[in-house]
Amino acid sequence: MPKISVKIDDKDLEVEVGTTVLDVCRANDIDIPTMCHLKGLVDVGACRLCLVEVEGTSKLLPSCTTKVQANQVIHTQTDKLKKYRRMITELFFAERNHVCSVCIANGNCELQDLGYKVGMENVRFPYLFQNCEVDSSHSKFVMDHNRCIMCTRCVRVCSDVEGAHNWGIMNRGYQVRIIADFNVPWGDSTTCTYCGKCVDVCPTGALWNKDATQGSMQKYPQAVSDLVEKREMKS
Amino acid sequence: MNRHDLKTISEQMKTKHGQFKQKVCVCCGAGCLSSGSEAVLKKLQEEVKLKGKENEIEVVPSGCMGPCNKGPLVKVNPGQTIYQQVEGEKVSVIVDEHLIADRPIEKMVLFSDTREKPFINSQEDPFYKKQHKIVLADCGDVNPESLEDYVFYGGYQALDKVLFQMSSEDVIAEIKHSRLRGRGGAGFPTGIKWETVYKYVADQKYVICNGDEGDPGAFMDRSVLEGNPHRVLEGMAIAGYAVGASKGYVYIRGEYPLAIKRFELAIKQAKKIGLLGANILGSAFSFDVEIRIGAGAFVCGEETALIASIEGQRGTPRPRPPFPAESGLWGKPTLINNVETFSSIVPIIACSGEWYSEIGTTKSSGTKVFALAGKINISGLIEVPMGTSLREIIFDIGGGIPGDKAFKAAQTGGPSGGCIPAEHLDTKVDYESLVALGSIMGSGGLIVMDETSDMVDVARFFMEFCMDESCGKCVPCRVGTKMMFDLLTKICQRKALPMDLERLEELAVFVKETSLCGLGMSAPNPLLSTLRYFRNEYEDYVNKSQALAGTR
Amino acid sequence: MSLLDIDERILDVAALADIVKCPLVDGKEFPQVDIALVEGSVTSDEHWHEIQDIRAKSKVLIAFGDCAVTANVTGMRNYFSKDEVFNRSYRDAQSNDGQGQPPDHFTLLKLHDKVVPLHEVVPIDFYIPGCPPEADTIFYVLAEFLNGRIPNLEQERKLKYG
Repeated sequence: MPKISVKIDDKDLEVEVGTTVLDVCRANDIDIPTMCHLKGLVDVGACRLCLVEVEGTSKLLPSCTTKVQANQVIHTQTDKLKKYRRMITELFFAERNHVCSVCIANGNCELQDLGYKVGMENVRFPYLFQNCEVDSSHSKFVMDHNRCIMCTRCVRVCSDVEGAHNWGIMNRGYQVRIIADFNVPWGDSTTCTYCGKCVDVCPTGALWNKDATQGSMQKYPQAVSDLVEKREMKS
Repeated sequence: MNRHDLKTISEQMKTKHGQFKQKVCVCCGAGCLSSGSEAVLKKLQEEVKLKGKENEIEVVPSGCMGPCNKGPLVKVNPGQTIYQQVEGEKVSVIVDEHLIADRPIEKMVLFSDTREKPFINSQEDPFYKKQHKIVLADCGDVNPESLEDYVFYGGYQALDKVLFQMSSEDVIAEIKHSRLRGRGGAGFPTGIKWETVYKYVADQKYVICNGDEGDPGAFMDRSVLEGNPHRVLEGMAIAGYAVGASKGYVYIRGEYPLAIKRFELAIKQAKKIGLLGANILGSAFSFDVEIRIGAGAFVCGEETALIASIEGQRGTPRPRPPFPAESGLWGKPTLINNVETFSSIVPIIACSGEWYSEIGTTKSSGTKVFALAGKINISGLIEVPMGTSLREIIFDIGGGIPGDKAFKAAQTGGPSGGCIPAEHLDTKVDYESLVALGSIMGSGGLIVMDETSDMVDVARFFMEFCMDESCGKCVPCRVGTKMMFDLLTKICQRKALPMDLERLEELAVFVKETSLCGLGMSAPNPLLSTLRYFRNEYEDYVNKSQALAGTR
Repeated sequence: MSLLDIDERILDVAALADIVKCPLVDGKEFPQVDIALVEGSVTSDEHWHEIQDIRAKSKVLIAFGDCAVTANVTGMRNYFSKDEVFNRSYRDAQSNDGQGQPPDHFTLLKLHDKVVPLHEVVPIDFYIPGCPPEADTIFYVLAEFLNGRIPNLEQERKLKYG
């Protein structure tokens, strides 16, 4: 692979053509928070946490879907970006009902960790207090829409890695919801293979094992990333 | 069909039309149809037949003539006399007096109710005089359901010229020379877009026409699709030839059944005689067009969401780059332009890029169609050269504000645009000047507000629209629009604290900068522009808030 | 009450400050104070007036615990209407006398439509999230303020929700 040089946060780097800004940063200890991104899944650029500033471009670009170009000068830790990352985090918390104290993922939650990372001591914007459903119709798992941040990792892992296409998306705007099949209770889904990959990649307490209790749910998103990597090595 | 046949059709139509002394056009655009123009058309045809004049007087349906709130409109040629609000007995009067006795009826012509001295020749009226019709040139004269009629008005000559006298590079050079910019709203130079698609090497490329016009109060694309569908089709074929695409899609929103019907008919007619399909006019160029019907999502007007929708996916945008020119429909290089842009192609090819570039301003050439709505005397469709001032558009063409009320603001660009206050009425309208004022050109919706309009409520209305139409994919737009709407509601209910105004502003800038697509990036514009020009109205609400007084 | 989680360190706090008003120190009026730690969210008219009073009389107002910072569990009644909540508690609950009438008593709160965290009503100077907040964090914050410094939970890695 031919190499190009870029400058990220004053570091001069030689990188392979076709690499995303996020991959370059992760390989060089530049910390960029993400939510919708998961190694092994197709990136969608939806959470906007990984936005970076590229000199010569007026728009902020998502580092997960933007490929580095020769001689680019990129900034990933400006005051503006830090402020926006905190605001995105606040909006995540305000959108649905992330009541940490009664959540199965309390203490093992990527959203909580994000809050700590961006220094969010409170949410400065009004909570929406949406009344979301809890779907416990499945024999092994539960989907609690109150905790869902619409990262769509579950949708992507189910279609692209498991190939089952159980998960989909319905509605628009803040009323958008993850659905099983054509909006049936998860337990009635004819496509779910009970593999549990969606539960493993879910960053919050939205998807969980039915036997989990407050603070006990552990997630293994890395398992899916490893699986995809091994498959790619084989092929 | 070959080039000779096209000439034959043209000749035949000339002979046919030559037989008639008069041509009566009845506007059958959606506006006039809703006020009953179909019955008027039928009655006119019957009356003419009854008087035994059907060989002298031709009565045909046509597209939009402009002043939609005066419909149903009937135009008599020669003489360009337009009659307004034609219904019932007025039909017989027109036939007897004007058509047969050749005495135009002054008290029934366009604007006879508002002007002291109305014009028998409509084109002398200030409403038309300041306009320059290029996109809408034949709209209102040509029968939108007849390919032959379109050919009579010079249709498909530009395609013929392109196929036999020009290379792809020539076409692109001509478009670049015209300095035409995309009429969908953002104003990207069309020629450069075409050239980019042309330069990508691929086994398949696509041309997409974006007819998913979704701004409240905007109906430019609808009127063009309804009034002159072949013009759009021809523009697409020329684009296909220029960029090397053999397949086109027209994406029309489902709320436009008439536009869909007329465009379907146009495709059918063109295919039947070989103006679409394999080896058009005997050349090596093949091009086919299909319609895709939008299901009512505003966001599908965003090009990547539109492409996803055509592919059968959920209509949500994706980050750019890559741009559709590189990787669009099914991953192939795709040219996507708006209806009005494609409609501007034919005149540019037929006349010249040079001619087009001399119209309008240095940075924004040509003309722009606007849909006038709101507190304005003449609402409807107009086309003016770029650089025409808002004052000319609203007062000279649109006839000013009803009821002697004072002008307060003009909203351009729909939910993505902003409100322009009275002190900027003399701004020459082009892409740059509107952006400088905190608004955008957008697709051409222009809503006029008078002194009674509550600007906070205006911002709230547009925010509600964006909130409902946000696709929900990215966080800033999904949650931010809802929060801003809630805060605006709180302000309107006089329950807001000064802190709420600060939060609102902070959110607006944040959503604008961090959203994934144009919808989110522009959703705060109505809010930001009203804050910029009418901040006192927001402060009034907050200062009189009940929350401060301790009553809740 | 989480304040007591700091155990014997309360003595250190007491050395630097007088505790003039808390559930353990009675008093009809809220006095003028340097620091006020307020637990819980604003759910009713009574709360609303109380927090206004506290705000006016405090130099530093600290939202203390997840309920004060986020509305937390108390905010979970926001998924229902005020009447639904009121009737469930005071009319339909098993423990009520079953007369089918909500009691009309002056001690019942005049509920607001929505429960909101403190900062939606008055400006807040500092937030200590956590359900309950960690004892170390509480002590750290108090010690900083009492020694004239501004605490920083992010820097000290003391942020914790839930």
